[in-house]
Amino acid sequence: MKKIFYVLVLLLHSLYSVVVFADGVVVDKVYHPHVLPNEKEVEWRLLSHQTDKSNDLAQRFAYGQSVLDNVMVEFYIVGERDIDGNFGLSAYEIETRWMLTEQGQYWADWGMLFEFEKEHNKDSWEVTSGLLFEKEIGRTSLSINALLIYEWGNDIQNELEMEFRAQYRYRWRPQFQPAIELYSGEDYVGIGPAFMGIQRFDRQKQLKWELGFITGLNGESKDHILRAAIEFEF
Amino acid sequence: MKTATVFIKRTHIISLFISLIFSPSVWAERTEYVVELKDHLFFPAVIKIPPNEKVKLIIYNRDTTPEEFDSFDLNREKVIFPNKRAVIFIGPLPEGKYHFFGEFNPNSAKGTIIVTPMPKRKKAIKVIVKNSVGGA
Repeated sequence: MKKIFYVLVLLLHSLYSVVVFADGVVVDKVYHPHVLPNEKEVEWRLLSHQTDKSNDLAQRFAYGQSVLDNVMVEFYIVGERDIDGNFGLSAYEIETRWMLTEQGQYWADWGMLFEFEKEHNKDSWEVTSGLLFEKEIGRTSLSINALLIYEWGNDIQNELEMEFRAQYRYRWRPQFQPAIELYSGEDYVGIGPAFMGIQRFDRQKQLKWELGFITGLNGESKDHILRAAIEFEF
Repeated sequence: MKTATVFIKRTHIISLFISLIFSPSVWAERTEYVVELKDHLFFPAVIKIPPNEKVKLIIYNRDTTPEEFDSFDLNREKVIFPNKRAVIFIGPLPEGKYHFFGEFNPNSAKGTIIVTPMPKRKKAIKVIVKNSVGGA
């Protein structure tokens, strides 16, 4: 147990120490490395970021399906509220999750994430690749995402960033699983409680929900983020 | 200099990842338990395994339809295609009962893993627990 702790501390330190600071919001979803064959899903995500100066809102709508036994592809359209308060289409994204190891086979479960995003009507591009990690510790699960992001284009400053997301979840009941989440990267460190659950229906049909309240730790003013996600698998 | 430092740190992460994946414990032999799924029923439906030990569950699907092994207690989900086998790694677990079911036929395909102390083996070698079922 002590060895696991030291390894995690070393991993977190190594990742955090190479963060390149930039702007933006890093709070999103902590990914799990598992993929099931024959899985299809539709997803909705909401992110509300409240500071003393602004109240930003972003929503994502997605469709995804597994294309191989261990690979899932998801397509997103992203909507955001602009500075005039109008909500509209802001970006498109394709995402691939690749399960590298069988669940429970090794010391931890591993996966990879690849994303490609383009902002609507802008010469602004973003490619992300990262490592997904999950370690089962009794009735709890520790999930960590370490992501490397490159942004480029005429409407954005070319830069390389690193993001780090972690979630420690207690698998209390299928419908209700409390967690604590930590996000870091892009000049931001945030932590807060999250709650999630799953309701099964007929056959592969199931509804997953997530709700998180993340507070920014490195700013002097108010910095609250509410994130929500609903996913229907069929 | 900064580039070199970043490179060294990234190399550390990669070597850490590789050492975790390929650590000797990864290759330790697992006790195997064979289960058969036929007519949407698990045989045996009750499987006893030792506490605090990772074991390998090999499930043969003899039906002509796919099934999804599902267990919140065990934190496992796995699709088993028709006339194929699936391997599910479970544990290490404390003593207790852990329920599982087939997501496509939850009323019939049900089972329980009972984690209970077992007689000690003389050698720490791979042991296949035969449940009188054949291979796929």
